[in-house]
Amino acid sequence: MKPTMPSRVTALSAAAVLLALAGCSSGGDSGGDSAGKKTEIKLYNDKGAWSKYFYEMGTLSKREIGLGVKPVGYTDEPSYTAFIKASFRTKVKPDLFTWTTGGRLREIVKQNQVADTSAIWQEAVGSGDLPRSLQDYYTIDGKQYCVPLNTAYWGMFYNKKIFAEHRLKPPTTWAELMRVADTLKSKGQVPFHHTTPTSLFSFVWFGQLLAGTDPDLYERLNTGKASYTDPGVVKVMERWKGLIEGGYFSEPGDKADPADHFKSGKAAMVMSGTWFNTSMTQRGLKQGTDYGFFFVPNVEPSLPKTSLIFESGPLCSLRKAPDPEASTRFLKWWITPKAQETWANSRGDVSGNPKVKAADPELGAITKEAASDRYRLALRYFEAAPAPVLTAVLDGLSGFLVKPGTYMKVLQDIQKANDQYWKTQGSGS
Amino acid sequence: MSAHETLPRPRSAAGGGDSPPRAPRGTGFRLFGRFRFGYLSPAVLVVAVLLYLPFLWTVYLSMTRYDGLGSPVFTGLENYTRLLDDPAMLTSIRNTLLWVLGTTVLPVGLGLLVAVLSYDIRGGGWYRLPFLLPYAMSGAGLGLVWGFILQPDGVANKVLGFLGMPGGETAFLNDGPENTLAMIVVWTWQQLGVNMLLFVVGLQSIPRAPIEAARLDGASGWRLFRHVIWPLMRPLTTVVVGLALVASLKTFDIVWVMTQGGPGRTSETLAVTMYRDVFVADEYGYGSAIAVLLTTVTGLSSYAYMRRQTRREDF
Repeated sequence: MKPTMPSRVTALSAAAVLLALAGCSSGGDSGGDSAGKKTEIKLYNDKGAWSKYFYEMGTLSKREIGLGVKPVGYTDEPSYTAFIKASFRTKVKPDLFTWTTGGRLREIVKQNQVADTSAIWQEAVGSGDLPRSLQDYYTIDGKQYCVPLNTAYWGMFYNKKIFAEHRLKPPTTWAELMRVADTLKSKGQVPFHHTTPTSLFSFVWFGQLLAGTDPDLYERLNTGKASYTDPGVVKVMERWKGLIEGGYFSEPGDKADPADHFKSGKAAMVMSGTWFNTSMTQRGLKQGTDYGFFFVPNVEPSLPKTSLIFESGPLCSLRKAPDPEASTRFLKWWITPKAQETWANSRGDVSGNPKVKAADPELGAITKEAASDRYRLALRYFEAAPAPVLTAVLDGLSGFLVKPGTYMKVLQDIQKANDQYWKTQGSGS
Repeated sequence: MSAHETLPRPRSAAGGGDSPPRAPRGTGFRLFGRFRFGYLSPAVLVVAVLLYLPFLWTVYLSMTRYDGLGSPVFTGLENYTRLLDDPAMLTSIRNTLLWVLGTTVLPVGLGLLVAVLSYDIRGGGWYRLPFLLPYAMSGAGLGLVWGFILQPDGVANKVLGFLGMPGGETAFLNDGPENTLAMIVVWTWQQLGVNMLLFVVGLQSIPRAPIEAARLDGASGWRLFRHVIWPLMRPLTTVVVGLALVASLKTFDIVWVMTQGGPGRTSETLAVTMYRDVFVADEYGYGSAIAVLLTTVTGLSSYAYMRRQTRREDF
């Protein structure tokens, strides 16, 4: 029977709907061999600029464990976070993904989404591939989740040529640091780079000044046991305000990349994590000749140990990953000395695996120094603060950078968000 | 079954009853005749699935507390009452109003001015070209370039300083509402050209006879424009201003690229606040309430404007 016009239209409409539905239902796929076994895994990350290094690791992992890597790099943090969270509810799930430790990791673990890596940690700590001190940051309710993607210590990068020109040495006390800054200022050189108000990094000086003044207060603040209007926090903000108004920082709002700023000599010092070495390497600068690094001395000299800001970013897999066995195999391999040596040295950064020998002797010295008992580790503020409080802090501090006189109002606004958050957590400041 | 459904509708030769006369079949007005619904259905389905369903979901989310994980918790109108009590929302509404005012006056007004001044003169196209070129830039590219120009000690400061003009020390993007005003100027720089082009097309399409008649009656210059040309261009102006109104209410890209709504949330617009609350602060419920508010305001203001500008029967 010849189909009528309406029935053809109906058939076409139905085909269009089926096609659309088929498109919606097809999950993300990764490479696999003829037996259906994965030969390539997709590694979703918010470090778009690191794709080259992920590909290098993929070449090595393919050779060693038969699993290549296809990095899917995002450069916009909110889009990345939204994608990962959405993947929990859809069939398009990453094999592996990067995240942050602290409150944000706890948040997704509580949703029963993240694969348990306790067995990997147990074996790695036993064999010395991962330090027990790092384990705490990956432990939630007694179990471990994810493995360290990267580890970094925070300190001050300084321009060696500018220091040599003014006969300056890396300081060991806060007073010396301020003398160095005063000398540079008197010669017309901007001492410190200041983050742009719109960047994610407006917390950096806040965290460093607070941890270097009162590390206990820093911890209490991040666990809801202290208020942002505490006299200790107010004092830190007043010190920071004094530095901004005293002309110690580059102009807030300068859109230049900190690495470019540093390379051009616009600012003599940049406070950053050791991963800043990657940016330096990409710009052809060499540690030891072009630039150096020192840990920021405590503001409060009477403290028994120097507060050292530290961060460790996790590499995670989902409980319902497309191929949990392949993801686990890769995570196990990732923390081995050979993998970590390639990963850390290609980027010029430190490794979470203490067995890894840094190719750069200065970086090796930093790692060794950080492991000594002269330092008290403090988790970077970005990870230590609960996510809703962090959002309020970043908003508030970005305003403070351009209007330092508003610091009390900024602290009061942050405290409102802090109160609201801890009220829902059954604790309060 | 209602009486309305049971009673046959009176039909006339033209189409029926009091309703406007319908075009007879076969004129091309009713393309594809009785099968038109079949042809339309795939597109309607796609729009319904991709637009209307998400909107209904957004309305539902706006009445919940939801962080993107787990399940939304119904909270009624709590998010809407919170809107009234949020100082960041007040700043956001103020900035959005500035955008509405600025972008319906400046790019449209200046576009009209350039179109009128350059119309009907020798080499007018060459005068218009520089105004049109910025339109080739994407919104993100525009934001990036001007972000560098307006940064502290940037090109704008250096040029003003070199010329000895005030503003050499101004940090254009650091304070509100100055940062919003600076971005409106940037937006004007880009959008002026396309508005100018639309007005030139409008000028070219208006009938010559009334203009010639007015000229014979002695009208010229401002009088000719005000009483003859301007009324003839009214339908086009309605569309241009209407488009500018909707674009200004949903201003997002240029602000996000240049300031991300900062510093300290001073340059946020409603669209930026919505994005920030959903994707940065993970407050899907509250962000959805802002989305519903923004959609309502845009819809109502567009409707009110179009209603005022057009005759009822044309609408």
